[in-house]
Amino acid sequence: MQTFNPATLPANDNVNPYAFCVDLNGQWFTQKGKMIAYYGQIRFEALSAGPLDQLVAASFHSPLYAHDWIVAQGQGKLLLADRAFDVNSYDLDAGNLTIRAANLLAFEPGLELKQSIIPGFLTLIGTGRFVAASNGPVHFVEPPIRVDPQALLGWADCPSPCHHYDHSYMRGVLGAARMLFGVGGSSGEEHQFDFTGQGTVLLQSSEVVADSDTMLRDLEGQISSLGAPGLTRLQSVISQRLAAERS
Amino acid sequence: MLAVDMAGETIRALNGSMVAYEGQMTFKRQGMTGGEGLRGAIRRRVAGESITLMEVTGHGTVYLAQEATEVTLVQLAGDTLFVESDSLLALDGQLQTGVQFIGLRGMGTGQGLATTKVEGYGTVALLSDGPAIALEVTPGVPLCVDPHAYVGHRGQLQQDIVTDVNWRTVMGQGSGESVQFRYQGHGLVYVQPAERGGMLEI
Repeated sequence: MQTFNPATLPANDNVNPYAFCVDLNGQWFTQKGKMIAYYGQIRFEALSAGPLDQLVAASFHSPLYAHDWIVAQGQGKLLLADRAFDVNSYDLDAGNLTIRAANLLAFEPGLELKQSIIPGFLTLIGTGRFVAASNGPVHFVEPPIRVDPQALLGWADCPSPCHHYDHSYMRGVLGAARMLFGVGGSSGEEHQFDFTGQGTVLLQSSEVVADSDTMLRDLEGQISSLGAPGLTRLQSVISQRLAAERS
Repeated sequence: MLAVDMAGETIRALNGSMVAYEGQMTFKRQGMTGGEGLRGAIRRRVAGESITLMEVTGHGTVYLAQEATEVTLVQLAGDTLFVESDSLLALDGQLQTGVQFIGLRGMGTGQGLATTKVEGYGTVALLSDGPAIALEVTPGVPLCVDPHAYVGHRGQLQQDIVTDVNWRTVMGQGSGESVQFRYQGHGLVYVQPAERGGMLEI
């Protein structure tokens, strides 16, 4: 069995398909809990740490996700992995790429992180390297394409997707019955993301996504813009849903 | 999956891990003491480091697997391997197992206060979520490991806990990597490319 030490570990490359080694000399943003081991002098700081203010102001523009991210700083070899998923690194050269928030493991401060319009996704803009995980190998496809929301890993250079619903799903007697009873005939493929324009779409080879409360936090973040009438209406919708769930 | 060719010898394997076999095999669940004697059984019960092994004896090939996870083979030549009890798949019959108390190490990671010790001559099969990575530790080159990704270690290693807990951790603003195991000395540490779910977010 092959063994590794700081000299034989790859620099900014994969150790095996499931683990990535960062040759740290300075600072990298990493998602919490993705570090599996390290050699050298490395400290992990929460983004709220005072000395990081300048770095965070320059590179991290997502208060919603700030709690999930930390900064690794120092010198050494840092090993990253995620749920034994496939791990790959990508280079951006004055580009932009949007990726599922839970699948982004780490990025260089040369990149700026922003929240995507699509809930649960983050956009990286600038020049630098980032590391992302996928369940199974990544496939690169070109629009026009419709993809399953769970299989979508991210997209680069093309406009944000729109929702596509299968028309016959919502129509007719069967559709109404499905709405009422929630049973029968559903293939689970009535909803897709529709991409058009020039660019590249990244797909993973499965529909496994991490349990994350990003959707919930996204919704919570938008509540403040509703006002009293909106909140009242939302409350009644939620209590109706809750009653339906309980019965 | 692990295929073991046998010619009359005995191995010990995780209870229920046999998926197929060829030839003549007998499977015997190990008694309460698990081959470690009454004192060993009591230590194991106290430590919460429970493993249920079965003895497999016969001629032919036995196939072992667990949850489709990766298997790593470790050869022991008189040295000692420390491994998490839930990462142990099978071991040669001549190897001795025991429980090693570690102290505060497993706190909060759901791994208990102790680890399983395997020593002697033979082969041990380890389970890991994704292929295990072997990292060398040499004098002057310590290694830090996330407790959730730790699988096992061997050699002359001192293990201590590095904590980076400060008021931010208490306020729920921690870095999520506040507790690490640090290994110093001379040996090998096995880690897996996945983190077990812990009871406590640290």
